Amino acid sequence: MITQVENPVLEIHDLTVSYDQNPVLWNVDLSLPSGKLVGILGPNGAGKSTLIKSIMGLIPPTSGYVRIFDKPLNDVRARISYVPQRESVDWNFPASVLDVVMMGTYGKLGLFRRPGKKEKDLAMQCLEQVGMTGFLKRQISELSGGQQQRVFIARALAQQADLYLMDEPFAGVDMATETAIFQLLKEMADSGKTVLVVHHDIHSAMNFFDWVIMLNLHLVASGPKELVITEDLLRKTYGGKLNLLTKVTDLIRNKDFNPLKS
Amino acid sequence: MEDFLYFFTFQDPSITWVVLGITLLGIGSAYVGTFSFLDKKALLGDAISHAVLPGICLGFILAGEKNPVYIVTGAFLSGALATFLSSWLRKNTKLSEDTIIATILSVFFGVGIVMLTGLQKSGNPEIAGLNSFIFGNAIGISESDLMIYGGLSLTIIMVLTLFLKEFRLMVFDPEYGKAIGFPMEAIRFLFNVLMILAVVIGIQAIGVVLMAALLITPGAAARFWTDRLHPLLILAASFSIVSGILGTYISFVIPQMPTGPWVVVFLSLIALLSFMFSPKSGIIFRYFSRKNYLRKTHKDHLMKALYKAREENKEGLSIEEIYELYPYQKVQINQSIKDLLKEGFIIKNQLFISLTSKGTSDAMRIVRLHRLWELYLNESMNIAPDHVHESAEQMEHLLTPELEAMLEKRLNFPTLDPHQETIPREKP
Repeated sequence: MITQVENPVLEIHDLTVSYDQNPVLWNVDLSLPSGKLVGILGPNGAGKSTLIKSIMGLIPPTSGYVRIFDKPLNDVRARISYVPQRESVDWNFPASVLDVVMMGTYGKLGLFRRPGKKEKDLAMQCLEQVGMTGFLKRQISELSGGQQQRVFIARALAQQADLYLMDEPFAGVDMATETAIFQLLKEMADSGKTVLVVHHDIHSAMNFFDWVIMLNLHLVASGPKELVITEDLLRKTYGGKLNLLTKVTDLIRNKDFNPLKS
Repeated sequence: MEDFLYFFTFQDPSITWVVLGITLLGIGSAYVGTFSFLDKKALLGDAISHAVLPGICLGFILAGEKNPVYIVTGAFLSGALATFLSSWLRKNTKLSEDTIIATILSVFFGVGIVMLTGLQKSGNPEIAGLNSFIFGNAIGISESDLMIYGGLSLTIIMVLTLFLKEFRLMVFDPEYGKAIGFPMEAIRFLFNVLMILAVVIGIQAIGVVLMAALLITPGAAARFWTDRLHPLLILAASFSIVSGILGTYISFVIPQMPTGPWVVVFLSLIALLSFMFSPKSGIIFRYFSRKNYLRKTHKDHLMKALYKAREENKEGLSIEEIYELYPYQKVQINQSIKDLLKEGFIIKNQLFISLTSKGTSDAMRIVRLHRLWELYLNESMNIAPDHVHESAEQMEHLLTPELEAMLEKRLNFPTLDPHQETIPREKP
């Protein structure tokens, strides 16, 4: 059940990704329409984060390619915004909430140039959007998990992009915050931006996403929510890994080289 | 005293030069070191500083004398080789980072010592100066050396200031940096170059063995005082300057005294003081806040006992009765009585103690918090009534008025706790 679209915002063509020699994503091939709130679903270790990271060019693909706005990634980087997993950074780093959100403006500033008043105003505006204005000067280690997550989202907003890739933005977030953030993402999608969210709660996925990608080492489904969230496909996604695929993965891992690399 | 005045009034231009040099060196190394401390790469600095020794010896052999250009270049190249090797090994072997760093440190330093010993046997009269590279000798620095070391320090400071934003990103979230298209590998490379340079500029004044301390300790000590990057950098640099100048002074006053160990002694002293006295994270501060808290809990317990006596229609309690209620706590009880008397919460008549009206209302608050919390645990968290007391014993000292109001609202102003005891409130 894979729905391909015309003039996609994001086109992933036969993407295979391995860590060292261990293939974690097999031949993912999909395309996404613009202005949608897209959920990436799948069990732990299904390759959800890997997919986002390889779209962002953080992990080189073993084979296949990604095109965004019909261009290679490096030509359109300024139009893409990325929210890494919250645990990926050390929150004891000496910085205030504002400092972190300002990092969202670095991409447009480029090297050398320092953020000024314009960047600060933008950062403030983004903090307001996520309801964190009151925490402006707070040391980031003093924030709760949900607040840290909102700071990361504010940083992504400050990039003023057209495509947003978010890795587990709802991990460790309470219900009220989750709903508020989803509302914000919805508004962004309505204004024509495309938002990709790695998510693992099927229940809230049903309510919020327009389009759903289901992964379990391979692409199970990609398409409008109504078509994709079916019992059959959910079982394929969450009903354990394909036995044969796991065996092949083991076989490749034990080789002295990566035979998938062309 | 005379030495002190002579040194610190800068009558001697060579002292002025040395102090200027050590100041620049201090700023440069503290600056770079703070970033590598935040990046949790402190050990790499230690490995690099030991690893520059073979390069120093090679520079000496090639120049045939203590030529600063040769020595700095040699030191830089051998430091660079060590850094390169460590990242190459990490990428291409399964060895863990600490193994790699320990190996590189000992191999390079071992080779350096062998070369140094060989040079000492060669009988070259210039060799005497080379020994100072082990533990450093700031006073022995000539003006032309200073030009090179000071110049390099200035370069480090300027590059770091120019790339502050990029290095902040490199330490905090390099993956994000890569995602927004910053050349993170080049930035990391530049930082490694600065790190090696920071080691190289310190070898003459501090020595290869202790240079890592000058890199890491200032940042680590300053971290106790601030949560912001800019004040952190400024504070680290100041710590480093102060220790640098004091260390230089000692080696000026006492002949043959190496500078490096003294700088490290002063730095460690600053770090120790920071560890003890800084607000929030200092151990002294934490000790007192814990002690105050314990004292408050003892007072609260005494007040509660008096209030419960009141509930049983007794005027108060005799000291003996109180001792019996809290066995083995005589000292604390006496202290609490003294405190509460002073605060006007209780009155003492001979050996009989009772609550004042001010005391009654505060004691009532503590009992109320205790029973509200018990009810909350029982009703909202499904904990059996005989399991809620312990938790309430702790929470009664902690709950704030805001939380009390929330509890009251959540439980809808209840009258009885899970043990069917009245939840007391002031009469309106």
